[in-house]
Amino acid sequence: MNRPDRTRLSLPRCLLALWLLYGLPASSSADSNPATHVHIHGFLTQGYTLTSANNFFGDSTDEGSFEFTELGINGFWQFSPRLHAAAQLLSRRAGSGSDGTIRLDYGVLDYRVLSDENQDFGARLGRFKNPLGLYNDTRDVAFTRPSIILPQSIYFDRTRDLALSSDGLQLYANRRSTEGEWEFQLGIGRPDVDDKDTELSVLGGNRPGELKDETSYIARLMYERDGGQIRLGITHAQLNMDYRPGMPDPSGPGSIRFSPTILSAQYNDERWSLTGEYAKRPLKFGNNIVYVPPPLKDITGESYYLQGSYQFDPRWEGLLRYDVTYLNDDDRNGRFIEALSGGARPAYSQYARDWTVGLRWSPNRAWMVRAEHHWVDGTAWLPLQDNPIAADTERRWRLFSLLVSYRF
Amino acid sequence: MPYSKNTNKRQQRLDHDRPIARRQVQPRRRYPRQLCLVLLLCMGLTNPAPLWALEVLTHPDVTDPAINRQMLRAVFSMRLRQWPDGTPITVYVLKPSSEVHIAFCKEVLGILPHQLQRSWDRLVFSGTGQAPIEVESLAEMQRRVLATPGAIGYLE
Repeated sequence: MNRPDRTRLSLPRCLLALWLLYGLPASSSADSNPATHVHIHGFLTQGYTLTSANNFFGDSTDEGSFEFTELGINGFWQFSPRLHAAAQLLSRRAGSGSDGTIRLDYGVLDYRVLSDENQDFGARLGRFKNPLGLYNDTRDVAFTRPSIILPQSIYFDRTRDLALSSDGLQLYANRRSTEGEWEFQLGIGRPDVDDKDTELSVLGGNRPGELKDETSYIARLMYERDGGQIRLGITHAQLNMDYRPGMPDPSGPGSIRFSPTILSAQYNDERWSLTGEYAKRPLKFGNNIVYVPPPLKDITGESYYLQGSYQFDPRWEGLLRYDVTYLNDDDRNGRFIEALSGGARPAYSQYARDWTVGLRWSPNRAWMVRAEHHWVDGTAWLPLQDNPIAADTERRWRLFSLLVSYRF
Repeated sequence: MPYSKNTNKRQQRLDHDRPIARRQVQPRRRYPRQLCLVLLLCMGLTNPAPLWALEVLTHPDVTDPAINRQMLRAVFSMRLRQWPDGTPITVYVLKPSSEVHIAFCKEVLGILPHQLQRSWDRLVFSGTGQAPIEVESLAEMQRRVLATPGAIGYLE
């Protein structure tokens, strides 16, 4: 209902239907080669969030909130070594921002034009995961995250739908040598910008018109050495949107361009792992969009985090992270926007500095329990739908979270 | 070709000081499958002090002579899906917590087992690949590798 564009029979839906049609009968036949079977995997995650002030994933102050549930199921069908189809359905409930609606997270037909021991080259058609940084490809799968809440400086939950996946074509090329592995992906497609949180965070409020996705580009180059001991990456994306005014609307139409560049680095040792990512995030608005005052029509955000984790034994892992976000490089302390908005947008809404400690316990591979604590200064990445009135938020706040996850 | 016949040649190809042992039974054309298995078991029994504790095991039809560490990494990290002749690769592993699996990852592949697990997870949950098939024991691994054309696993 709130996503009218997703109800029509889109390309990914057709691909999914195709996959189901072709996949189900064949998977029941007795095939002697397991490499051509269909594979089904999934996960269930439930979280609890308690904050000292400000709401995160629901009404999290006082009693805390259980409004954080992630459910996913995926299928992978190998037609031949060169051709496969894959799709994942995802339901995510996270406060007012995500209501648990089932959506197609990805649905692709993947064809490898070339593949030998030294290289692969191929294409994916359909809805593909946007390869942003180290974690975006699997950001809703608790087992693949380093913590309950991803470092928000890079993996904003506010604009998560914009970052999730795109409908279009993705080309990939991998090169393997004794010096390491190179992985390159280039995607051309339309991101999903229909959700309210994206509109709120991009346009600063619920506007009469709507945001429409436009053709966007995402490229990532990853280099891995010694089987992933060293991982380096650079991502550049150009996400294009259009503002289409509503019937009574003081604003004219205009384009919005978000073009982040992310540098990623990770070092993994037997017991410890060190990760850092840095991003510059330019955001440009068309002149006719009146909701954004002229001095804020061309701003650049900056973010980075440093994260260390240590495995006490294979079951127990500890985490320490420092995560920094500035929404506007020219107004890091937020005083300019506070004055401009007459106090409606507090200075501390323009930055966030977050210290996180966390603990993971994995009794076996199917189950995982996590606990973490955040000390946050600033509200730059606080979900807007959970906190509709900026003046009611607090600058310094703490967040405690527990999470249980199961996968198969 | 059995591995022992061109040891020197293969060692030159490796990018690492530790050679990779590979056990490959004779092609099926010359020996029935049952014999291969017997041969394999005998080799294990008559070799109480093997030069290498871990060996790669492939289906008899896999005759690629260039299996080196780089290729094994590509195979066990599930990036490479077919042998040069086009046969699909089926990868078998033990439970990731088993000592043999850990030793195989570290010594033969040169990858930390939890790193390998993470890279499989990334493939599985982004729709870009699959994890290998997990078996309960080395005996099951041996049985299934020999029964599946294009299969690969390991032996202690």
